[in-house]
Amino acid sequence: MPEKLSLTELQLIIRDSLYIALPDMYWVIAEISEIRENYAGHCYLELIEKHPDDKNVRARAKAIIWSSRYRFLKSFFENTTGESLKEGLKILVKIKVEYHELYGLSLVVSDIDPAFTIGEMAIKRQQIIKQLEQEGVFSMNRELEFPAVPQRIAVISSSNAAGYTDFINQLTLNSYGYVFYTALIETAMQGTETENGVISALDKIAENFHLFDIVVIIRGGGSQTDLSWFDNYKIAYYVTQFPLPVVTGIGHDKDMSVTDMVANKSLKTPTAVADFLVDCVADAENHLIEMGTEIAGISAKILEKNRYIIDTFSIKLLPLARIMLSNFKDKLSGEIIGIMNFGKEYTFRAGLILASQESKLISEVKSYYSVKESGLQRNIQYLNSFTFNALSGSSIKLSGLMNALNILNPENVLHRGYSITSLNGRILKKSDQVNTDDIIDTQFIDGSVSSRVLAKEK
Amino acid sequence: MAKKEFSFNDAVIEIEDILKNIESGQLDVDKLSVEVKRASELIKLCQKKLRSTEEEINSIFKDLV
Repeated sequence: MPEKLSLTELQLIIRDSLYIALPDMYWVIAEISEIRENYAGHCYLELIEKHPDDKNVRARAKAIIWSSRYRFLKSFFENTTGESLKEGLKILVKIKVEYHELYGLSLVVSDIDPAFTIGEMAIKRQQIIKQLEQEGVFSMNRELEFPAVPQRIAVISSSNAAGYTDFINQLTLNSYGYVFYTALIETAMQGTETENGVISALDKIAENFHLFDIVVIIRGGGSQTDLSWFDNYKIAYYVTQFPLPVVTGIGHDKDMSVTDMVANKSLKTPTAVADFLVDCVADAENHLIEMGTEIAGISAKILEKNRYIIDTFSIKLLPLARIMLSNFKDKLSGEIIGIMNFGKEYTFRAGLILASQESKLISEVKSYYSVKESGLQRNIQYLNSFTFNALSGSSIKLSGLMNALNILNPENVLHRGYSITSLNGRILKKSDQVNTDDIIDTQFIDGSVSSRVLAKEK
Repeated sequence: MAKKEFSFNDAVIEIEDILKNIESGQLDVDKLSVEVKRASELIKLCQKKLRSTEEEINSIFKDLV
């Protein structure tokens, strides 16, 4: 019958054998698949190795970091990488293989190389960046125009995160009194749920994107920052395709995640995001005020210029007007004097003319009268004498005529023995006035006789 | 409510236009006062928009979350 061993005895044999077979420390590359800290501060890990192609787990081991060592390694790792030790992270750790009869095999971690993780993360990040660039989407969100007044904000965060409260306080208590509208879409901001959580939050916002100006992705800062959750291809891709500008404040001092890189604006903390948004609005308002000031200034200048033109006009016009006025006044007073003088002269002259005319008229009328009178007198005298002469001459002529007439009176001829022969009342002077058988009358002083013409002789 | 929503950006563009107009110096003095008045109105409206809360937006956001 072979020798029988108690379980303890067996475990001790294994422990001693391993101790002898693996006496050294080994640097081992592994991925953390589980990590937890217990009440005493010890850190329990499950380390795995995935097949590079099919990603199936092909090795698995438990590991432990004793609390005394863990306190140091944790802060050293976080300070160097900006990452906390978490699931999915690839690490290079120095281990000692130990075997405990009660707890079995465990890898006791005594050291960690953060540079390896940084390198791994950088490689992973570079791969994502390269992929996004190859797809031509890397800068799509960055090319969106950032709104001048980002007042309506969709916030992706977790409500219990310190960062969210900081953000809201910083935003709402801004010194300018600007109003901001925020809608919180809650999701896990770290851990394995981050990817799906952030993407579904983005989807929800995208359905109502017209209600918002921007999307803000924020989470608390501090040492518990796991940047690598946002070194995530899916999240980064969603951000690049998002119709609104995305602003990140996922709390990292040293490095940027891919999500930060593709976001429209990336800031270190939620508080910084709030400050940035307040500054944006302040800039927009300043732009307004500057334009207002400029408008006021230019308008004032234009008005001033116009006023100056008017002033110069009035400055030029005033003396000109004065000169014109005084010239006019002079001219006017000259004319008044002229008119007055003329008037005086005229009235004086008119007076003179009148007086002289009057006397002249009077004298002329007088002389006219006297001339006329004397003419008349002369005419009267002349007429008188003429009439007298004429009458006296006429009476002389008349008496002579009377004498002549007396001598010429046929009666006197008849007296002297002459007779007058007439035919039908007409006195006959020639023999051819009578024909034979005409009855002719012959007047004598004492009567007449009628005779028939018997014959005519020449 | 058929009231057209006041747009900060549109207002800024209009103010910029007014500024350009005034800067060009081709605006006559009579139109100047109208433009200046319009600009100051728009600036006031913009400042009001930055500072006074529109409860409508708040309630929409509440329903959304």
